[in-house]
Amino acid sequence: MDNLKLAKLREDGKRTTIKIGDIVIGEDFVVIAGPCGVESEEQTVETAKAVREGGGMMFRGGAYKPRTSPYDFQGLGLQGLKILEKARATTGLPIVTEVIDPRDVSWVCEFADILQIGARNMQNFSLLKEVGRAGKPVLLKRGMYSTLKEWLNCAEYILAEGNMDVMLCERGIRTFETYTRNTLDLSMIPAIRELSHLPVLIDPSHGTGKLSLIEKMCFAAIAAGADGLLLEVHINPCEAKSDADQQFNPQQFALLMQKIQKLQKFMQEKVFNSSIISGDL
Amino acid sequence: MKLDDIRHNIDLIDSKILKLLNDRFEQGLLAKRFKDKIEDPKREKEVMERIKNNANALVESDFSTGIYKNILTESKRLQGKSLVIIGFQGEHGAYSEEAVRHYDSNFVTIPCTTFNEVFEGVNSGTYDYGIVPVENTLGGVVGPVNELLINTDLQIIGAIDMPVHHCLLMVPGTDHRDIREVYSHSQALAQCRRFLSRNNLTPVPYYDTAGAARMIAEKQPRGCACIAGKLSAELYNLEILKENIEDLSSNRTRFLLLSKQPHEDGGTKCTITFTTEHKAGTLFSVLELFASSGINLTRIESIPNEPGDYSFFLDFDGSIKDPKIMDTLEKAEKQTSGFKILGCYSEKVVGH
Repeated sequence: MDNLKLAKLREDGKRTTIKIGDIVIGEDFVVIAGPCGVESEEQTVETAKAVREGGGMMFRGGAYKPRTSPYDFQGLGLQGLKILEKARATTGLPIVTEVIDPRDVSWVCEFADILQIGARNMQNFSLLKEVGRAGKPVLLKRGMYSTLKEWLNCAEYILAEGNMDVMLCERGIRTFETYTRNTLDLSMIPAIRELSHLPVLIDPSHGTGKLSLIEKMCFAAIAAGADGLLLEVHINPCEAKSDADQQFNPQQFALLMQKIQKLQKFMQEKVFNSSIISGDL
Repeated sequence: MKLDDIRHNIDLIDSKILKLLNDRFEQGLLAKRFKDKIEDPKREKEVMERIKNNANALVESDFSTGIYKNILTESKRLQGKSLVIIGFQGEHGAYSEEAVRHYDSNFVTIPCTTFNEVFEGVNSGTYDYGIVPVENTLGGVVGPVNELLINTDLQIIGAIDMPVHHCLLMVPGTDHRDIREVYSHSQALAQCRRFLSRNNLTPVPYYDTAGAARMIAEKQPRGCACIAGKLSAELYNLEILKENIEDLSSNRTRFLLLSKQPHEDGGTKCTITFTTEHKAGTLFSVLELFASSGINLTRIESIPNEPGDYSFFLDFDGSIKDPKIMDTLEKAEKQTSGFKILGCYSEKVVGH
């Protein structure tokens, strides 16, 4: 990690905070929830309402979808962005959405509050430079085959272009395990806190790919000190065009949020804020 | 050429035909202003003769005369309705037209090329009313309109203060990544300067916002979009790529409604114009009259007439039926020349 200049821990120990509306990422525990993809106006706006009612603080949804097969649903593109804008107007929730093409960065900025760089694009350096020049916060997901070092260097690409509002998101990596979609690497939370000042979020929906496992992984992430969670919620998961097996319905999401809030409160007790090895984290 | 392309062309032609029909009916309504009766058999015969003799390859005269019988019937039906006609500067879809809709959506709006045409049309009785913009929060006063107001005998009968939200419009289905040039009135381009530069778009000045929308819809130039209001998107079937692209959301324009007759019921706001002697303190002494009577001035504007000679506009809260205001105006008239009450009216503030 020797060549990190901007992503490495600061000498004064100050951590990055990113203010979006009333929410300060890095200070407040943030839950970003929404469907995998924007499929229609009704599905999106209704899900956004459910996310707000359930206690979610930001809304996510993909207008541009990087898919394994070129024949899979690729997202609604610009129409999807317009629908996300409507969801924000209806609920007031800030919008997090993925950008996959450097040519789209300025346009996605016109509609979104946070630009997401997906796992498959983590090392798309021209895209990283482009979002580094954009005036919007960036959520950088960890590539499915990437080491922490590579990941932090990708954050460095964005920071080096002058965009200091970067947050990291662990979403599981490829291992030999096949029961889960990916292996959610929660050790990254304290590891990043040791090495970097950037906020770190956890996406247990992609991290496990299994609805039954997500709840417990949320608890583990909170206990490990995550700054927030990304959760997939769909107004009607059975009809989802992508990731149908890992999206909560609104009732499940609301129940989960109640538990998350309780645990989050509990974890705020002072005793958890220090490490038995090295004192303050 | 594919079937889809041909159908696309057909759709474009249909929308042009309908626009032209609307233009024709508008002219019919204006013609009525110069006729005593709706029926004019001589003129009708002339029109039908011309149609019959104007044979086009596929448009046979039996067909065209059939259509024209229908058109004339509809035109006469419209003439028979007592529709209120209001003139505005610009093409259909202009912000002035949007302002009219806020005032009374039943008014029939007629586009004019210049502000002068609006004034003339009301003066001659061709239009019942006219609407003109007077000031914009970002662009300042609309100079040509103020000059016309000083010299007009028309009365202000209403005002509309309206937010102006610009939209980026494109031909439906255009790939937004291909857009390079954006056409619009230079004012609108200036009000969206930061948006354009963020997205690497080149501004191209055009004579009118709605005119730019019409051009984009009709000519469909490659890689081009335009900035205009939502109404233009509706009228010209353009897709809104992005709403509210103005750099400052507080962008507002104030419009005045003009008529030959003063507003019957008066109102809560007045506009006067006058010239003062070119001497120290003359304007101040007029303003002092208003101040000492406790009248709230809402706008003061000076317009140069000749070098060293200025006309002033004064807007203030109150009614000319109020004795206090009548008294102040009487005193003001004595101290000034060219004194004129342009109107006492009520102002509608939209979307505050």
